[in-house]
Amino acid sequence: MPALHAVQKELGHLDNECIKTLAKSFNISNAEVIDVITYYDDFRLEKEGQYIIKVCQAEACQSLGCRTLLDTLKSHFELDIGQTSNDHSVTLKEVFCLGNCALSPSVMINEDVIGRASSEKILAYLSEKQNISHND
Amino acid sequence: MTDQIKIYIPKETSACSVGSDLIAEKITDLTQGYNHISIVRNGSWGAFWLEPFVEIEKDGNRTGVSYLNKETSHLSSIEEFFDDFYNSQPFNIQDIAFIKRQTRLVFSRIGLYDPLDLNQYRNSHGYKGLEKSFEIGQQQTIDEIKKSGLNGRGGAAFPTAIKMQTVFDQESAIKYIACNADEGDGGTFSDRLIMECDPFSLIEGMTIAAYSVGANHGYIYLRSEYPLAKYFLTEAIKILKTKNLLGKNILGTNFTFDIELRIGAGSYVCGEETAMMESIEGKRGLVRSKPPLPAIKGLFNQPTLINNVITLASLSSILSFGTEIFSQYGSGKSIGTMPYQLCGNIKHGGLIEIPFGITLDEMIYDFGAGTFNDKPVHAVQIGGPLGIYLPANLLNTPLTVETLINLKGSLGHGGVIVFDDSTNMALQAKFAMDFCQKESCGKCTPCRIGSVRGVELIDKIYNKTAVNADRILLEELCETLETTSLCAMGGMTPNPVRSIIKYFPNEMMN
Repeated sequence: MPALHAVQKELGHLDNECIKTLAKSFNISNAEVIDVITYYDDFRLEKEGQYIIKVCQAEACQSLGCRTLLDTLKSHFELDIGQTSNDHSVTLKEVFCLGNCALSPSVMINEDVIGRASSEKILAYLSEKQNISHND
Repeated sequence: MTDQIKIYIPKETSACSVGSDLIAEKITDLTQGYNHISIVRNGSWGAFWLEPFVEIEKDGNRTGVSYLNKETSHLSSIEEFFDDFYNSQPFNIQDIAFIKRQTRLVFSRIGLYDPLDLNQYRNSHGYKGLEKSFEIGQQQTIDEIKKSGLNGRGGAAFPTAIKMQTVFDQESAIKYIACNADEGDGGTFSDRLIMECDPFSLIEGMTIAAYSVGANHGYIYLRSEYPLAKYFLTEAIKILKTKNLLGKNILGTNFTFDIELRIGAGSYVCGEETAMMESIEGKRGLVRSKPPLPAIKGLFNQPTLINNVITLASLSSILSFGTEIFSQYGSGKSIGTMPYQLCGNIKHGGLIEIPFGITLDEMIYDFGAGTFNDKPVHAVQIGGPLGIYLPANLLNTPLTVETLINLKGSLGHGGVIVFDDSTNMALQAKFAMDFCQKESCGKCTPCRIGSVRGVELIDKIYNKTAVNADRILLEELCETLETTSLCAMGGMTPNPVRSIIKYFPNEMMN
């Protein structure tokens, strides 16, 4: 698993080429590598968005409207859970608990957690990030 | 010389989730060239509604202000910041009732200082526990833990000393210790707080446990949803290696101990100890059947001590302050203090470490100041996604391991989630089954298939198309899950469902 994390961090996802190389270096079959990859939500076989938006859907966030928040984001991005936008800018996901339960609802964008989240807050976060990268 | 001024700005997930980093950036800019002002990125005090809580220490006085609804972007000088700060009625956080009423033993250091400041840690009794353990020896250390009455804080409340004794008694050249930091229960964050705000206490506790059972290699299995905890643990391990507190000849003894940090990949069931071992071994996180117990045949088939983060962090306090620090509180399986995590629809949510037995009423109203949106409390879920929902007329329930077992639930990892009267309880029951369906490892049939059937049945109730036979079937399904699943995932999923049927019967009718 440390190898899968490391490769995915570098390349963004784990494609066939990676699987073959990993299988060879660990002296196991391709199937065994795929076996592990497909068990875990974090590992991905296909390219995902630049921003992975994980909307917490666990109980504490449910108590403050995370289901509505997810619906709003779904219709804003026109994406379902697990889908990536055509331009690969955004992937929408659900997650179960970010450990920020006293400031619900919570959303994680890549590695940043946003507490007391609202769709406005998330869109503002994204446009600010995009501005910064445009100016770079 | 001008007097030194310290500005504390927390670096902790919840604080950062509401803008703590931005404030730190701003203040860092403003303090350029002021040598008498230093910025400390401390941990959080666990009073999350105040975050980002900024404190200033000046002339021996430390006071703070909540910057939740305060702008800092317009400030153009540090003097302006100070004026604004001192005009905002700063107070000492240790004077507020939320903190004052707690008995912080395991969480005594969070918020005080930079979590990676080893000198501060050692000046606040850090590593006294390990020194004591080395002084009294392995068996004596286990005896001390036994005397303290500590039970596991991960959810199962198993006596910690019995596990340690079992691993100690195994004759094996290789033994492991694994810290379960896969805190996946919705509504819990106490492990995260220890890892982000006092990582040395966890590692010291792990070292004590490893020494006492004779393990030289340890794993921390951390969930991937906690990137900041990963940062703090990685840095803490690095620092301790350079200071001879990890690695060879720890504190001049001949004891060697190393820790490897393993990151999970988004699987809830990997918080189950046998699935966690599979995952550490690089496999799919499928649950193993027990026996053999991990203490006898665990990681890589070797005897393995598996404990939760809070359990291990507790060892440092017990060893350094004496067993009475724990054993003076509570009885039965509920001895010592419990870090409850109050959250969900609540005004003042956060970490509450207090002796077992506080009632939900006290917790929600005395600590929590009622619901966040001022609506009436309708239900409270205790102990994570496998925990029961209690109705508002049972808020006088004291939170101990035993009372929750009597109510056919579990205190679990101590999460308490508050829901208001707009909550649809049938939807909550459906979620319990849905969560099991999504997170089941798939090894045993009741959990894999039963959860799918459960979702379908509750859907009928939710859509008001259920007939009486469906209700009977749901009850039978719960019984099958409870009695035939391999692990707690399937075995305890019926708990929330049954509690909703029992306490909110009207909401489960057509």
